[in-house]
Amino acid sequence: MKMFDHHIHMTSRTTDDYQAMADAGIVAIIEPAFWVGQPRTHVGAFEDYFLSLVGWERFRSKQFGIHHFCTIGLNPKEANNPDVADGVMELLPIYLEKESCVGVGEIGFDDQTAVETKHFEAQMQLAIDYELPVLIHTPHRDKKAGTERTIDLVKASGIDPGRVLIDHNNEETLAATLDSGCWAGHSIYPNTKMDEGRMATLVQQYGTERITINSAADWGVSDPLKVPKTVAAMREAGIAESDIETVVWHNPIAFFGQSGRLDLGADGGRPRVDQSELWEGNSVLRGQEAVVEPAE
Amino acid sequence: MTECFAEILWARVDGPAKKWLERVWPGAGGRDAAPSSVQFRAAFAGCARRLRDLPLQAGDVRMLSDAGVIVGADWQLDNVARTALLLRALSLLPGEEQAAFVRQVYLRGDFREQAAVLQSLSFLPRPEQFLELAIDACRTNVLDVFEAIACENAYPAAMFPEAAFNQMVLKAIFLAVLVGRITDLGNRATPELKRMVVAFASERRAAGRAVPDDVDLIVNLDAA
Repeated sequence: MKMFDHHIHMTSRTTDDYQAMADAGIVAIIEPAFWVGQPRTHVGAFEDYFLSLVGWERFRSKQFGIHHFCTIGLNPKEANNPDVADGVMELLPIYLEKESCVGVGEIGFDDQTAVETKHFEAQMQLAIDYELPVLIHTPHRDKKAGTERTIDLVKASGIDPGRVLIDHNNEETLAATLDSGCWAGHSIYPNTKMDEGRMATLVQQYGTERITINSAADWGVSDPLKVPKTVAAMREAGIAESDIETVVWHNPIAFFGQSGRLDLGADGGRPRVDQSELWEGNSVLRGQEAVVEPAE
Repeated sequence: MTECFAEILWARVDGPAKKWLERVWPGAGGRDAAPSSVQFRAAFAGCARRLRDLPLQAGDVRMLSDAGVIVGADWQLDNVARTALLLRALSLLPGEEQAAFVRQVYLRGDFREQAAVLQSLSFLPRPEQFLELAIDACRTNVLDVFEAIACENAYPAAMFPEAAFNQMVLKAIFLAVLVGRITDLGNRATPELKRMVVAFASERRAAGRAVPDDVDLIVNLDAA
């Protein structure tokens, strides 16, 4: 079964992860712009990060046969940093135009401050102006209230809720998210947030409409194989194969395809792997034989 | 002759792409002011996905070749558009600001944008003002970007000092880029270049690894 992990921070992951993901059947990923574990101190650091999302990381992913796209945005945490926030907002018109940017995100609330609200609203407008779907991070602290405020803000923006994916849902937030008409993402984590078993239960309860899953694997303890592991859990729970495929393949494609930029190639499958390609003079290989698949 | 880029672009652009181009064309809105760098870079970035599906015609390719574009058939409308945009923006900028402007467009581009800048250099006003940028591009070394400056591009042979040209040739060999694609290589082959290439071959043999055929090609060139 082909799988699409629509929320994973590959900048923080090794090539071992890419290889394991490819072996497990992950064919496409989206890497949202986020904070990188410690605060940035220059607008330029954001710009170089955006460039890596449309450049190096996209190339690195391709070496393992995985299509890589990104979303671009000012994340909620660093929206609170007056040294960088306005400067990053000024950069967004450039990076939202890049051909592999398929959404605005991750935006949303962290502490739910006034300045977070300001930048959240401004980026909702950018999404409307650039005709891009939106990936929204819901806070991990005070999540239920934060999600409700998120839904209110989305409604006030005038955007079509079908172009908004509210991520990191749990049992307390999912009903409200679905009722709003937005899509509902779920990040499957080892010890915190959502897990495979609970996710299978939610799919049984709520069905597959506008429901997606992702690993949100990042700089902390997380697992880039949570999407295939959740597929296994759903099978074990007796969920139909076609429903599983809807959740992990058709749904993310339908949602992010709204960008008009989700190019999965002619057969919607893996890009041809050519590990002999170099990037910045760097190969991803360190002494192994290059895997080079014959061109069609 | 460099008007052909804009001519081809406006002849081929259509529908929503045309509306977009009219909006972002530098100096649009009747004001003859250069666009702010941010506006220009957004327009430059947008060329790929907005123009990618609009094809060039055979006549366009001939026009590009006549203008000095080498192997014009590889060019697509987004390449033409990016050259046209650069030409247009520079026509609105004072001479002393042009090199810095193009450098920013290059540094903040994705790799296809960077390649487009490098392929444009020979056609921009006073191309010698971009020498530092072109030499630096040989350092960054991303295969697509490296090929855009090193291959089917008259700029290095015409403009590079000997040391920079020699380094570019050696890098091409390192990256398995065929040196036959380096424009006017024969005019720039010096005894020093040959020495460097022979030393590289010796290093490879000592490591028990293959020596590319390109080494012989260069050694056998008549010196300039």
